Amino acid sequence: MFQNKAGTVKHFFRQWQLQSMVVPGIVWMFIFCYIPMFWLIIAFMDYSIAKPVLESPFVGFKHFEDFLSDDRFWRSIRNTLGMSTIKLVLGFPIPILFALLLNEIRNIRFKRTVQTISYLPHFIAWTIFGGIMLNWLGEGGVINQLLMWLGLQDREILYNSDPKYFWWITYFSDTLKETGWSAIIYIAAIAGIDPGLYEAAELDGANRWQRMWHITVQSIRPTIAILFILAVSGILGSNFEQIFMLKNNMNMRMAESLDLYIYNMGLVSGRHSFSTAVLFVRSIVALGLLFLANYASKKLTGDSIF
Amino acid sequence: MKRTFMKLSMTIALAFVLTISIAACTNSGNNENTPTNQPTNNGQTNTGTTEEAALNPDEPAWKLDTSPVDLTWFVGANWYPHSWGESLNSKYISEKTGVNVKIEVPSGEANEHITLMMTSGKLPDLITMGSWETAVKKLWEGDHVYALNELAEQYDPYFFKVAGDGTLKWYRQENGNTYGVPNDSYSPNLMHETGMTAANQTFLVRKDLYEEMGSPDLTTPEGFLNALQLLKDQYSEYKGQPISPFFAQGNVPYGMTEYLQNLLAIPHEKDGKVYDRITDPDYITWLKTFRTAYERGLINVDFLVDSDTQVEEKTNNARYFMMVREWTGMSAVNPMLAASANPDSYYIAVDGPQNSNGDSAKLFPGNMDGWMVTMISKSTKNPERAIRFLTYLVSEEGQRDLFLGKEGETWDTVDGKPQLKPEMVQLLENDIEKLEKEYGVADTYWMVRNPVIVNQWRPEKAPVIKQMEDFANAQADIDSGIYKGLDPLGDSEAAVAWSRISQNWEEVLPELITAKDEAAFDKIFESFLSRRDGYGFAQVVEHRQAELDARKAKMAE
Repeated sequence: MFQNKAGTVKHFFRQWQLQSMVVPGIVWMFIFCYIPMFWLIIAFMDYSIAKPVLESPFVGFKHFEDFLSDDRFWRSIRNTLGMSTIKLVLGFPIPILFALLLNEIRNIRFKRTVQTISYLPHFIAWTIFGGIMLNWLGEGGVINQLLMWLGLQDREILYNSDPKYFWWITYFSDTLKETGWSAIIYIAAIAGIDPGLYEAAELDGANRWQRMWHITVQSIRPTIAILFILAVSGILGSNFEQIFMLKNNMNMRMAESLDLYIYNMGLVSGRHSFSTAVLFVRSIVALGLLFLANYASKKLTGDSIF
Repeated sequence: MKRTFMKLSMTIALAFVLTISIAACTNSGNNENTPTNQPTNNGQTNTGTTEEAALNPDEPAWKLDTSPVDLTWFVGANWYPHSWGESLNSKYISEKTGVNVKIEVPSGEANEHITLMMTSGKLPDLITMGSWETAVKKLWEGDHVYALNELAEQYDPYFFKVAGDGTLKWYRQENGNTYGVPNDSYSPNLMHETGMTAANQTFLVRKDLYEEMGSPDLTTPEGFLNALQLLKDQYSEYKGQPISPFFAQGNVPYGMTEYLQNLLAIPHEKDGKVYDRITDPDYITWLKTFRTAYERGLINVDFLVDSDTQVEEKTNNARYFMMVREWTGMSAVNPMLAASANPDSYYIAVDGPQNSNGDSAKLFPGNMDGWMVTMISKSTKNPERAIRFLTYLVSEEGQRDLFLGKEGETWDTVDGKPQLKPEMVQLLENDIEKLEKEYGVADTYWMVRNPVIVNQWRPEKAPVIKQMEDFANAQADIDSGIYKGLDPLGDSEAAVAWSRISQNWEEVLPELITAKDEAAFDKIFESFLSRRDGYGFAQVVEHRQAELDARKAKMAE
């Protein structure tokens, strides 16, 4: 973007007021993201909260061996990947579609109303939203009543008692709650498209579908690529609050994600070293996935984060 | 020019605001305490000079210094709804002692909350935590709390006079120090003497349905299944909604395991060895009964999956038929149901599942561990005020102030005996919420409640509650308190093994109940037992045995 280094520096100082606004963010990140990394060393120690960290004995890879040889760890990996894959494949395109459809609405008032209503659920905490979901999924809940009224099932089903529904429950509830919110970034990207492009295309005889595909989608492609790369790197993460609210003893087999495993096996009994070891591995894998997705995106679409 | 100036000043202003807010964040913790330092420092110097003369082991030391002081008090129960300083009683106590308490409750799990605080090295002045929580042990071992005996020697020897010697001894650690005072601690002698056992595990049924069905026998598997069948055939709906035939409090680990085993009177110990209760034939028989009931569609698995809110809703609408549930949890609902349009829809305690010998239940009574323990953290700036306040609270005078409130306002002496005023008793029966919020007497501040002292002032309970309580008292196995909580806790190898086993059991039990036939049931149970061995059950057994032996030795002292 800039011709040479001297130009960049000059440019930087000319905008110093704007540039200085990023300083608190950098300070925040340094304090809360970089400094804590040092304490990853407790993954290799037998750290107990009662003693200072540096006095704890080194135990090497003991905790890593512990979880790698635990069948429940592998089960949690399977569950996390299962839920994340559904969310990535079926969930990722939904906000994009929603943003595109919303963009085609000509009535501004209606558009704004739909947009506002759709992102409101985002502001409800999962503890509450999860409780609502549980009621909906219960024996006398809306979902059972609706499906019975439609004749799709003949008796009430306790949806959250059967493990086979769990991944789909997380997917649907997440989509319901977050679609509107996730669409905001795409709507913003769409708003930044030069209207001249549409006018030119219209003159050239492009219909609405063609304009949507060749202008809107192509223009927001970098945004899609970046969010996709980030989504792939987050594939070993899961929505802890959501799963914590919806899980129970009966669906645990399919519900225990990596985060919940760390919570159940580590934090509940105060095994901080163990939890850190699992998190450590997860972060390394996530970093690898980030590079992989970035590389793939660069090759395939030409858009990438770095 | 003017615009750039505007922009510039805006930026500076913004940066300034940001700096301030960051600074405010880091400092606020310290700021809070500064004003309170002043008077106490004075107090310290005052007492310092006269200490030798003033400290009298027969005289409470809180009277020496009643200057205002703030103490933060962490109550390790996220559901604890009360604050200090609004209710009449808390104002009275603050005025009397000069201590203004600021109650803090965890937003999530108490254990995690206090662990986080430990890492940060800043703890509230007073800490009340469940005696079973792993964090309690860490507080003691990590030297985060004061040894109460040392503090008492230094500032208030009256403490030794009022803190029951038995309980102090019970919580004494190997280094000779005691770090916490329990509440609701019951010694077997006391229970034998008074018949008040604090047992709260009951088997409840809805009175009207149970009586309409002809008070069926629920103690044998056959009777149990027949009653459920009858319920399904004739009473499957209540107020237009389906009846939930069965509920077990605390889900798998509590209601369906320990609690059910107590109802079946399964022994804790055989020939001096800790007994593996989960493999007991009677227990297995009953789990199979639940499986049969599920297979026949007589019970649903809602009791294994419902959230607390769903359970509460069903309870409040009397939609359960049978419940394995602590009666204390029903003390608000039962009077409400008895006062509703259907006054017989409340719950009564009856004989529930019994073992093949027909023995009556052997319920856990209260025990020496008590419920929660209260400690004084080393972060406190006012250790002498904290120990004096604590001594006051556990003394008879403090117990009376906490439970009864201010004489003449909330209680009177009738026939030489303190009694809550009739309007207080009225509120206790009908509107506990108002009583606790406005007056703050009775069980509002239970953090150091001593049942030996306060039970003498308790008014007679409403009959719908008393029935359940009496039933539980009659079935309490007074000497079994010693078996409660033998399992290893914390992050030792045995504890990790136990947490893996018990978490696995939570998943296995639902599988057992939903197993398609008895053969499948047996197979799932067998595979659980072998998995349990793989997780290190031997270590758990060893720990339980050692713990039991140690307790017996302590009791014998």
